[in-house]
This record gives sequence, C-alpha cells and structure tokens, in this order.
Amino acid sequence: MMIPALWQISSRQWRAHRLRVLMTTLGIALGVAVFFAVRTANTALLDSLSLTVERLAGKSTLEVTSGETGFPEEVIDTVRATPGVELAEPVIEVIVHSAFADEGNLLILGVDTTGDQQLRQYEFDRSQTEIADPLTYLAQPNSLLLSRAFAERHGLRIGDRLPIFTAHGRKDFIVQGLFQPVGVGAVFGGNVAVMDVYSAQVVFDRGRSFDRIDLMNSRSVPVDELQRRLCARLPAGLETVRPQMRGQALENAVTAMRLGMLITSFIALLVGVYIIFNSFTIAVNQRWKEIGILRSLGVERRNVYAMFLGEALLMGVIGSISGIAGGFYLAAAASKVMGSIAASVYGVISTAVAPRLHPVTVLTSFALGVAASLIGAWFPARAASCLDPILALHNIESRQPESSLGWKRIAPGSALVLVASLLVHFSPSRVGMTLQLSYAAVILLGLTLLLPMLVQGSARLIHPVMDWAGGAEGGLAVDAMVRSPRRSSATVGALMVGLMFVFSTGAYIQSYKHMIGRWTHRMLNSDLVVATSTLLRSTSYHFSEDMGNRISALPEVKSVENVRFTFIPFQGDSAAVIAIEMDGFLARASDAIEGGSSRHVRELLPRGEGVLVSNNFSARWRCRVGGRVRLNAPTGVLDLPILGIVEDYRSDKGSIFMDRALYKKFWKDDAVDFVDVNLKPGEDATLVKRKIERLTSGSEHALVYTNAELRIWIGSLVDQFFLLNYMQLVVAVVVAVVGIVNTLIVSVMERSREFAIVRAVGGYCSQIRKMVLLEAVAISIVGVMVGALAAVFNIQFMSRTVSTVVAGYEVPFYFPWLLVLAALPAVAAVSLLAAWLPALRAMRMSVIEAIGYE
Amino acid sequence: MIQLTGVSKSYGLGKVVQAVSGMNLQIGPAERVAVMGPSGSGKSTLLNLICGLDGPTAGSVKVDGMELSALSDDARTRLRREKIGMIFQTFNLLPTLTALENVAFPLRLQGLAKKDAEPRAASMLVRVGLKDRSSHRPDELSGGERQRVAIARALIFRPLLLLGDEPTGNLDSVSGEEILRLLDGLQHEYASTLLMVTHNSQAAGYCNRIITLHDGRIVKDERFDRAPATGR
Ligand SMILES: Nc1ncnc2c1ncn2[C@@H]1O[C@H](COP(=O)(O)OP(=O)(O)OP(=O)(O)O)[C@@H](O)[C@H]1O
Ligand SMILES: [Mg+2]
Repeated sequence: MMIPALWQISSRQWRAHRLRVLMTTLGIALGVAVFFAVRTANTALLDSLSLTVERLAGKSTLEVTSGETGFPEEVIDTVRATPGVELAEPVIEVIVHSAFADEGNLLILGVDTTGDQQLRQYEFDRSQTEIADPLTYLAQPNSLLLSRAFAERHGLRIGDRLPIFTAHGRKDFIVQGLFQPVGVGAVFGGNVAVMDVYSAQVVFDRGRSFDRIDLMNSRSVPVDELQRRLCARLPAGLETVRPQMRGQALENAVTAMRLGMLITSFIALLVGVYIIFNSFTIAVNQRWKEIGILRSLGVERRNVYAMFLGEALLMGVIGSISGIAGGFYLAAAASKVMGSIAASVYGVISTAVAPRLHPVTVLTSFALGVAASLIGAWFPARAASCLDPILALHNIESRQPESSLGWKRIAPGSALVLVASLLVHFSPSRVGMTLQLSYAAVILLGLTLLLPMLVQGSARLIHPVMDWAGGAEGGLAVDAMVRSPRRSSATVGALMVGLMFVFSTGAYIQSYKHMIGRWTHRMLNSDLVVATSTLLRSTSYHFSEDMGNRISALPEVKSVENVRFTFIPFQGDSAAVIAIEMDGFLARASDAIEGGSSRHVRELLPRGEGVLVSNNFSARWRCRVGGRVRLNAPTGVLDLPILGIVEDYRSDKGSIFMDRALYKKFWKDDAVDFVDVNLKPGEDATLVKRKIERLTSGSEHALVYTNAELRIWIGSLVDQFFLLNYMQLVVAVVVAVVGIVNTLIVSVMERSREFAIVRAVGGYCSQIRKMVLLEAVAISIVGVMVGALAAVFNIQFMSRTVSTVVAGYEVPFYFPWLLVLAALPAVAAVSLLAAWLPALRAMRMSVIEAIGYE
Repeated sequence: MIQLTGVSKSYGLGKVVQAVSGMNLQIGPAERVAVMGPSGSGKSTLLNLICGLDGPTAGSVKVDGMELSALSDDARTRLRREKIGMIFQTFNLLPTLTALENVAFPLRLQGLAKKDAEPRAASMLVRVGLKDRSSHRPDELSGGERQRVAIARALIFRPLLLLGDEPTGNLDSVSGEEILRLLDGLQHEYASTLLMVTHNSQAAGYCNRIITLHDGRIVKDERFDRAPATGR
C-alpha cells in the first residue's frame, strides 16, 4: 500500500543512518534469538521427555503404578489374570549414585529377565561376549548389564565391578554384559543399567513390592477397555494409565521451568520493542522537515504512516531472520542447561535430543519479531503522520514541540496500572496463567504510557542533586530531560523492563529465602538430621528403621524420629506425604501448628485419627482445618480430618503430615528418609554428629547435619531451586545492558548536529562531553527509579500470582533496597560507557559537516 | 479558480490572533496575482488555506470548484498532488534526493515509474538551466540553484495552480530576477494560475494583479494589464 516513490526516501535514510539501522535491527534480532532459543530448547526438552518415556515403556500400552511408594508384588497376579492382558512385566526403577565421583546419577531398571525382552528393546554388545543372551544370566544377585557408553567412560569391561550406594551401603555389582546406545540403552545419556527385578528388591530394600507393572493388551481387547477392567479389579491406591500419561506428568513437573524461561524471552522481546521505539522516535524527529515537505507535495497521512511502518516491517523481517539464525545456535546451549536443571532440580530424566528447527517455532518467532518491530514503531509513525506540515515548511530551525503530557496519556496509563494491580490482587488463581500473565503485561503497558511523565517527574526530583554535583552542565542535562522527556523515554523504558525483572526476581528470591529461614527455624528444629541424599531426599535409597534404633541407643540422644518423605497420587495429581513419629514431632514443633485446637491435635494425631496439611496444600486444594482428605492407599482408602495447618515447603504439590504408624499400616512401607535426632540437654551436637557418622559409615550412605549445617544445606538447595531464576537474572541483565547501550549510542550519535550547533556558537567540546555524560548518569538514575517503581508492581505480581502457580503458596512482599542501591552505580557505569564512545565520535566530526544541509 | 468567501482564520485560544479575517477573494484561471503586505499581515496563512494544509475558522475556500472543507484530508492531499505546485522561501527540497530525483518526485507520487519520470525531470532541469547539476544533492547546490530545482519540481506536473511564498526572498536581486523570469515564462506556457507572496515590487511587477493585506484584511486589490514576460 506504500507508494514506491517513498521507498526511495526510506532507502536513502537508511543509507545515511546505517549504524542506527544496524543497531535497531540487532535489537530485534536479540529478542527473537532469545525467544527462539528458549522455545526450541523447550520443545527439545519435551521431545526428549517423551522419547525417554517411549524408550523405557517399549511396547507396553498400559502401566500400573502407585505414586512413588510401590505396591505389593501379588498385584501382578491380579493383572495377569485379567482377561485381555497379553503380557505384564514388573519393573523397579531406581536412580542411584555410583561411587564414581565425576559421574551423575545412574538409572537402574529392575526387570524380569525372562519376559522383558518382549516388551523393551535391548541391543547387546556381542563383540566382547560369547553369551547368547546376557539377560538370562542376570538372575544372580549383584550382577547387572550396563550401557556401553557408561562402561567406556570408566574403562569397565565385562566381569568388572561397579560400586553403587544401596540401602545397605556401598556395594559392588558385577557387569555381566553391555548394551548398545539404542532403545533402553540410549536413555539418560547412556547412564542406564539393567538388573533382575527380584535382586533389585533385595538390594534396594524394597521388600516384596514393585514400582510398576508394564503391560500389553491382547489384540482383541482395546486399551481403553482393558484400562477400565484393571481399574475395577485393582485396589484404589493403584493407577492404571497409558505410558504417555507419565510423559505428561514429567512435562507438568518442568512446566514452571519452561514458563520461567518463556517469560524471560518475552522480556528480551519487550526490550526490542523499546529499542525500535527509540530508533523511530529519533528518526521522526530528524525527518520532521522531510515529512512536512512530503505532505505539501501531496503524500497522504496514511502514506507517511505506511512509510515508517514499512521501514519497521523491513527491519523486523531482517532482524527476525537473523535472530532465528542466531537463536538456533543459542538453542543448543539453552537446551543443555534446561536438561541439566530438569535432572538436578526436578529429578526428571531426559535423553539428549539435538534441537530441531520446528516450523511452528520459526513462524511464531518470526511473527513476534515483526510484531515487536511494528509495535515499537507504531507511536512514532503515528506521531509522524500527525505532524503539522505548516510548521515544518515555513521555518528552518523550529522543531515540532513535544505534545504536552496531557491527560490523554496519563489517564489511560494510570487506569491500566490501577486496574491490572487490582486484578492481580483480587482475581482467583483459577483464571489461568495466560490471563494472569496478561495482568503483568497490562501493568507494563500502563507504565509505558506514563513513561514521559515518570521521566519528567524523576528528573525534577534529581535536579537539585545533579545541579549540585554536576555544576551548570549537570543542571542543563536534567533540564533537557524535563523539557523533552520523550527523548530519553525509550532508554528509561528499556531500563525499566530489564531492571524491573532483575529487582523483582531478586526480591522474590530474598523473600523466599526469608520464608524458608522461618520454616527451618520453626519446623526443622531438631539438633541433628540424618539424610539419605544431598538433594533433600532420594527416591531410591532409604534407611531402615534399624539405623534409627541404633542412633537412639547412643547415650547422648534423648529421642529420634524416623521420617518417611514420599509422594502419593492425590485427586489426579500428587501430594507429598511426610510420615513422622508424631509424639516426638509435637514435643518440639507443636507451636508451628496453626488452626485447630491443640488438645485435638495432641490426642488424635499420634493415634492416626487425623492429619496435618501444609499451607500450600491447603491453598492448592482449598481445604481448611475441619475439612477431610481422602487418600487412596495401596491397601485401602483413608478418609481423615484435617487437624491443623503447618508451614512446609518441601514440595510445591503440598504436603500431608501423618503419624508414621498409620502410614506403615496402609502403605506397607517402613523405609526411612530422614532421622531427626534430639539430644539430651548440654550435649555437643558436633561430637554426636561424629559418633553417628562413625556408626553408619560403611553400612549406610548417611549425611549428618547439625541444625546450623542444616540451614546452610537447605539454603543451598533453595539456591539450586533458583538456579533457573539466577539464569533468568543473567539474561535480564544482559538484555537491559543491550537495551541501554543500544538506545544511548543511537541517541547520542544522532545528536551530532545539535552538538555541532552548540560548538558553532562557541560551546567547548569538553562542555558538551560533560553534558552528554551527565545526562547518561541522569538517565540511569531515573531508569533505576522507574525500574524500582515497576518492580513494586511486579513483586506484587510474583509474590501473589507466580508463586501460587509455581510453588503453590503466596510469598510475602519484600522490597530489595540493597539490590536497587547496588544497581545505581552499575547502571551508571554502563551508560557512561555507552554514551562516551558516540560522544567522542561526535566531537571529532567537523562542525560544518555535522550541521550540513539546513 | 480560487474563491474565498468570508474566510477567517484565528490562532490560539486565550489570546486570539486573527491572521485572516472575513476575506472575500476571487481569482480566475491563468491570473498572476502578487500578495503583498507587512510582516504578520496573514499572507502565508492565506496560502496555507488555499493549498488545504490549513483549514479556515470560518468561511469557505473553493479551489477549482471544490469546497476544501468538504473534502477529506486525503482528498485535499490528492488535490495538492495533482493540481497545486508550491514554492517556498526556504526551498524545502528533500535532502536525501538528488536534484533530478527531487524534480521527478511529484510524478512518481502520481504513479509514474522511475524510468518514465526521470527523463521528464531531466528535460525540466534543462529548462531551468541546471543540466549539469542533476545528480547533486541539495546541500551541494547554491541557494539560487536550489530555488530553480524547487520551481522545476513545482511545475513538472503542469499544475493548475502555482503557489509561491516569497520564492525570491532568500536570493540576491540578480538571481531573484532570473528566477522570476523563469517562473513567468513557465507559468505562461503552462497557463497555470499564479499566486505569489512577495515583499518586493520587482516581483510584483511580473503580475497582473496585486493584492495588499493588512491585519488579515484585503486593503487594496489592483489590476494591471500587462503582457507576460515583459516586465513593467
Ligand atoms: N501557528 C500559529 N500559531 C499562532 N499564531 C500564528 C501561527 N501562524 C501564524 N500566526 C500568526 O498569524 C499572523 C499571520 O501570520 P503569517 O505567517 O500569515 O504572516 P505573514 O504575512 O506571512 O508574515 P511574514 O511576511 O513575516 O511571513 C501573525 O501574527 C502570526 O503571529
Ligand atoms: Mg510568511
């Protein structure tokens, strides 16, 4: 729709302002690259999850499971006796630490050696062995088959020993055979071993239970029908699902992470919008006269509009294409990081999948890049089309005065901010994440409308300081911001978005840590804690009650509590169960229980006639003291009243606290994940810790923490949980820096003419330089102020909305003063640098050259 | 050609400036009109009203039989594109285009391809005596040369109406004279109506009607019978 002749004008302008066009296009490219990389890595992660599930499931069409707790092995007889079951095979799945220090976790699959090959694909390495079928030789305990990749990394050959930590301490396993990296062997980067399911029961202390039964339906019975039959026959605590459902569960586990990454990439795109906005505002300012001439020659408003939008479109297209190209390389790195976070934080196993070019992702990234570009250019282009041509035509020097910061901007801006904040505050979490995210977007939009006013206001505020610190030039620099706040709006805007994200993430982490500290103080207050894993708990390795007994026999120990921490299916999702010896627990932590009568709690809880639920459980499932929970145990259904609420952050799914005896009875499980140790008065925790370590060394893989160490340990777990957020912080900082550097360089560079006029009338270079630099400082101060203001809204959003989605509970509001103060010098330094180089360049230009035509 | 009835234009809200007040004026085809008057008397405002860049506060402006206030902004713009050539005191050439491209630009706006528009522009440049300057950009031309490019640009599409706001105001009297002669010749050839704001009587001497404004009103409207291109 744009007149071809206008392309000529545009192309000349681009040639004359190459650097600005390049910087602007790069700004878009960066946003698109980050978005594309994150999306691609996300897809790669999901691909890898489903691939993993697919390989581990083999040909099975249904699986029988019971949360993490496992179920009695007799179940397999019921399953096999169900008409329509072609094949049913038991599985025990454990993730263990091998004794190799530099090696990550190893997945051990316990299978029935006779039938499993019909279900799963194993390719054995025949080069080293004469044995026809190594699976059949697995029946001997302590032998396993290992993936060739793992074996080669450690120089293991058939017949060699592989040391692994088990329920009974470190144990050596004999490698009976190796398999190729296909099928099962390719899962988890090759960190897989296979052993006999019955040996696994013994070695990993599973009693006579299985984790899972994988089964295949016979041709005559459809999967759905078989699923119905099994549901009817099996006890309530057992679930029969399609293997894909497990993939779904894994996907759900990493949802928060994927969402977080996606938000980060939107921030990058948003900064791209400000970069475009800045560039086009400058362009319109410079081409003001040109626009007037075009109008007088008969170019309609809409064609002026179209000219600028056309330029933005072209930049968007070029920027998006290069962004996608760059993002593809970034994706490999991003996918590696996300895979390792998924494994270490969420305990989700994945198989390395190289990122692929997905047409949908390519198209979305492209569309978003172009859209960002058009949105950024929208206002400047509109301003250009509304310019008054008469002013441009009859005057040489006058410039279009900035339209006043009237109510036309302030009213909708404030209204948007206000309405969205109210929505954040009052809207229920069930409206869904997309809608909730839009609240944050609306707040940002409102703040963007208010930006000129905010810039002007903040500039007025810092005027006295700049006057005092920077002399005449300081005052002038701030005057410029007060008079034409729009010129620095884009830089401040880019800073606002980046810093808002940095501040609010920092605040979120801080307040989360504060909360965890209070929790540790109130709930985890025993003198010593013995744990199975550095990762809070291990899904595969547990203590026996015997160890607790031995510790309690020590003369310094007053009492011990054996704690089981596991997950059970709950209302289509899952919930954490913390089974603890309630007498001991109540003795040290009863004041942590809120709601309900304490007499009730004291009487009913130890008898197993009620449960406590965590605050996030109560928020998630909308239940209060006095309500009831229905739990499906493998041996029957439990329906218990909620006696009280306790703070607990062990799981984002919410936790149920019950007496250990009750759990043992209904789940037939006496494993122990923690032992809380309470000492007699006056005993030295460090000494007892040594004693316990000596007691358990050799037989158990036990980690003993004093209370002080426990806090540090939990702190480091929290840090690990926030690894992703720290990464987001880094991305946000990079993006903010790019935003401010880009906008400042462009702004200063494009003011060469203005500087030349100042020099022509007798200004010293040193004065101009000082002014530019002081203005950069002023912009950073204003940027930090506005960023802090935006952060207030975003912290509100994160502590209310995001945390309920990610963690299941609200986090108290906390404002990160220190972070804001620390950001000031850092931002100022970056902007000084960004302003310095173009200022130098501008000074080197000859005055005549810079003043140029008209 | 141009018909103004009771036209007023005021600026400002509080302290109102009456730039043009209650003006009635009729200008026929191929007339050559000079508008004179002291600074601030409303001359530029009058031109802006006639070319449709500005709208009157009261009254009606008709150009080529069309009531401007009844036209949309786009239609007024199209009117400028197709029927009105404008020459300014400050030239107002597009700084990024060469002389040739500047002259060709109105044709290209009317939809002509580059290869059709530029030869016509080149011959126009020859006529204004800038044959060897066609590839120069405006900042490489002198003031007089720029004004000739501006004239070439204004006349390239044979406009019905040629508006000039002090076209010689920025030039010395010798080049001013040259420009006027050029303008006069081309105007006669194309039979365009000429309306030219000027401060100098030398320029007014090329016209056959002189209107004098004062405080936004016509205080004098004189007609002369003069042959074109002869001077007084
Ligand atoms: N945009 C405007 N806003 C306010 N007043 C204006 C505006 N444009 C013109 N005026 C006023 O209208 C009056 C007429 O202005 P105009 O430009 O038409 O004068 P002029 O006759 O062209 O003067 P000159 O010979 O100096 O160019 C002046 O008093 C001027 O101050
Ligand atoms: Mg004037």
